[in-house]
Amino acid sequence: MKIKQSLLEYIDNVKNGSFTCEEFVLETLEQIEKHEEILHSYISINNKAIEDAKNIDKKIKSGEAGSFYGAPISIKDNICIKNSKTTCASRILEDFVAPYDATVITRLKNQDALFIGKNNLDEFAMGLTTEFSSFGPSRNPWNSEYVPGGSSGGSAVAVSALECLASLGSDTGGSVRNPASFCSVVGYKPSYGLISRYGLISYANSIEQIGPLTRTVKDTAFLLNTIAGLDENDNTTIDNHNDDYLAEIDHGIEGKKIGIIKQMMGEGTSKEVVDATNEAISKLEKQGAQIQDINLETVDYSVAAYYTITATEAGSNLARYDNLRYGYDFPLEGYEFNSYISKARKKFGPEVTRRMILGGFVPSAGYAGRYFLKAMKVKNKLTREVNEAFKKVDLLISPTVPVQPFKIGEKIEDPIALFLVDFNTVTANLTGKPAISVPFKVTNGLPIGIQLMAEHNEDKFLLQAAYSLEKDTKLPEVPL
Amino acid sequence: MVTAEEIEKVAKLMRIEMDDHAEYIERVKKMLGYFDLLDKANVESEEIDFTIMPIENLRKDEFIPYDEKLIEKLKNYKGTYVRAPKMV
Amino acid sequence: MTKIGLEIHCQLTKLNSKLFCSCKADYREFEPNTNICPICMGLPGSLPRLNQKAVEKATTIALALSCQVPEKIAFFRKNYFYPDLPKNFQITQLNVYGPTSIGEKGMVNVEDKEIRIRRIQLEEDPGRLIYEGTSEKTQITLVDYNRAGTPLVEIVTEPDFDNPKQVRIFLNILSDLLENLGVSEPTLEGAMRADGNVSIENGPKVEIKNIGSFHDLEKALHFEITRQESLSSRDIPIAQETRHWDDRRKVTVSARTKEEEMDYRYFPEGDIPWIKIADARIQKLKEDMPESISSKKQRYVTQFDIPPQVADVLSSDKFYSDLFEKSHDEKNAKDIANLITTDLMGLVDTREKREQSKLKPNHLQDLVSAIQASRITRTSAKTALQEMVKSGKSLEEIIKDLDLGKSDEGELEKIVDEVISQETKAVEEAKANPQTINYLVGKVMQKTKGKADPIITLELFKKKLS
Repeated sequence: MKIKQSLLEYIDNVKNGSFTCEEFVLETLEQIEKHEEILHSYISINNKAIEDAKNIDKKIKSGEAGSFYGAPISIKDNICIKNSKTTCASRILEDFVAPYDATVITRLKNQDALFIGKNNLDEFAMGLTTEFSSFGPSRNPWNSEYVPGGSSGGSAVAVSALECLASLGSDTGGSVRNPASFCSVVGYKPSYGLISRYGLISYANSIEQIGPLTRTVKDTAFLLNTIAGLDENDNTTIDNHNDDYLAEIDHGIEGKKIGIIKQMMGEGTSKEVVDATNEAISKLEKQGAQIQDINLETVDYSVAAYYTITATEAGSNLARYDNLRYGYDFPLEGYEFNSYISKARKKFGPEVTRRMILGGFVPSAGYAGRYFLKAMKVKNKLTREVNEAFKKVDLLISPTVPVQPFKIGEKIEDPIALFLVDFNTVTANLTGKPAISVPFKVTNGLPIGIQLMAEHNEDKFLLQAAYSLEKDTKLPEVPL
Repeated sequence: MVTAEEIEKVAKLMRIEMDDHAEYIERVKKMLGYFDLLDKANVESEEIDFTIMPIENLRKDEFIPYDEKLIEKLKNYKGTYVRAPKMV
Repeated sequence: MTKIGLEIHCQLTKLNSKLFCSCKADYREFEPNTNICPICMGLPGSLPRLNQKAVEKATTIALALSCQVPEKIAFFRKNYFYPDLPKNFQITQLNVYGPTSIGEKGMVNVEDKEIRIRRIQLEEDPGRLIYEGTSEKTQITLVDYNRAGTPLVEIVTEPDFDNPKQVRIFLNILSDLLENLGVSEPTLEGAMRADGNVSIENGPKVEIKNIGSFHDLEKALHFEITRQESLSSRDIPIAQETRHWDDRRKVTVSARTKEEEMDYRYFPEGDIPWIKIADARIQKLKEDMPESISSKKQRYVTQFDIPPQVADVLSSDKFYSDLFEKSHDEKNAKDIANLITTDLMGLVDTREKREQSKLKPNHLQDLVSAIQASRITRTSAKTALQEMVKSGKSLEEIIKDLDLGKSDEGELEKIVDEVISQETKAVEEAKANPQTINYLVGKVMQKTKGKADPIITLELFKKKLS
């Protein structure tokens, strides 16, 4: 089965003529056809995929193909592809056709990546399980009664179920790492500012990043080489000095210091997850790393701070959806402005509506000092603590999620229980540090991922550490 | 603190029509209640820190027309105006 | 004791592009919705790209108004829903985390009064709305986003004004200053708008918004002062509120409920980092600032001995002072200044006339030389100037074409004799009362179509009538 290989393996094979892009894309489309009814990882499929593949095959023949050689990549449906529907899994944008390409799309297009489809997500990226998509949840390919994680659930499922070679998701509080852990794939959140957000439909713009989901760490490094780096269209991007993330990736972690985040190994973490994490720590120790405990007190407040800040930013970022310039069909005759837009925005799903309400409360004149301002200060304190920690250690380690995947419908009624699924991941977003989830173990048929975090703009080093962790890990095959 | 009237006020502020404001009270109450945890974080004396960029890195002041007929790709336009409901 | 404060919005029309995107800053020549892009339309996924020169120009304004400029500037979101607001929030500035707006604590002198500037901030203009239809059912708002994202500088004063007249003088000074700095053309339609606030006898402050022009502002302020005084004289308490100026009925109307419901949920704009302007760069901005109006005036008076009123007019109007700077030298400065502020003024008193004018600095130089050398009379010079503005022809060409050369002495004497023989009654009067000779001189000027030298003509009359 061709489709069961990594992105880099595909490129090698196509380069040396083992098969054509078209053949591979056909098999991928068959796989999608076979499993989509259950897994529902896609909102839309590129109906010109074969045509695109044929065009790239021509370029490959004439030696003009870009470095991706037509590799089918899927894209979370909150990233704009020109002339394609970009819905954010919301009824409010169900007819929105993006008139421009996101920067990451332009960069991938220039290297002849092939876009196979748009992935399902929690509506406007607000959620942890993809159950809040207005078009139905995605399901975990390891056990279809279980959640795949979220909000980039569709992306993780597609990569895990061999429905694409890699995917781009977005990570605001763990939305790439969490589903990566739940579906046993690699999920990467880069340093804040490393990847341009131009064309990513904003949820919480001060902390989110686009992040790749792939089958191997090397694949992520390869993707990063194409999409990372300064973009004049995004004032928050940083200069990564054209780092080559793939070069020296097998450098190893001999002599490096790794800190275990105490707060992320305590109460609330399941036994299976604790065991897996300890195994991962041993593995790294055997490779020459030095392990110590790290105390990050403010982590206990990180979830509260995260949801306060993101509710505020989301309330503002989603204000533009007034259905006047883009949206769905809803004639405006007979309405007054405020009542029209209020009715139009009724189409937000219940979770988005809840976040809008929160986003109206926490920065409002009466409450801002109590909630929003405090949350900003917590963010500050947390960042200082993590910066201090990185003076003592080179890496921080923890489980990606305190628990293994749970059943669809299990946590959806309890907002706090749901919030706490993010407990280990929001710190990296609030502090802007790069973090990665590396698939490590499958216990009782359900995946467990391990999270590594590094200092800001130390993405190259982080990938080296992740590669060390991934090396020689024997994982079962996804039971499809 | 979180009553149906409060929810209604906020829903109006955020321009979202709701059939039943009371439906949201419980969950929003829980969520806000959780945020009260922030009071224990001991951050009164914290400053707010931000990323800084030197002015030299900002965009140069050039007029570059956007070369697509953008207005035709959006909905609700009449002639070349965008239509919106009347203001009271 | 009346106290008035102002909130002025000024577009930076001299910039090439908008505040956060590369669309044109001056939107006035465009068909509706043709000066737009994903950023100023607030499309999903678009991000603001701050304009470097906008920050510089705004800083220059802050410096010109003697403000303190902070180490770093920051942007915030002001959240509210309106059809002319593409993102349903405005990116603006605040000073909630220390001083972060482009300038604060400055001042401007208005005659003897010091008007303090509370703060200056950089922000984006919304789009424009047009209302269509008259019947209840078909009323639609039409939105044009060409203006959305145009760079604005908001200037907020302390309530230091004592009366509306001071306000008017201040606005003229400010308008001239901004034009002189080369940051804005305040006379462009909509380029400068002002709202105000009024309180009397240390009472509550009433904000007045929705004011269309400076003219309206003065009316609104007068009305509001009268309204408050009237309430006060009847012991009725004045409410602290926001009122709107109703231009049709010429009154201020309470807008309290609308404004009170506004909760802007201000928070930092995460898409724009805090911007640092190095001290060296601020120093350079200071050095590169065009000479101030008051400095120019002083220089004109002391260096060229130009009378203060003339220097006033010359220095406060950029068009005139630019023309003066380019055309004068040490010797002709006073005459050039005079020519500009008397004969030229009526010919270029509107924006349209100035744009169409073909007058060049060398025209003025040639004209003044010719007058000084007695080659052409002052009256003819005025005619020549008119032609220069209209056609741009050289002085020599114009003198030839319009026959403006000075009458020669022989010719002149003949005409004087002519007038003496024709105007017998006036001659008798003039002999008795020498003051009335000017009437006879006027007659000669008429006959020569202004080409006669009035001084020589006068001398001739004096000689012949004595």
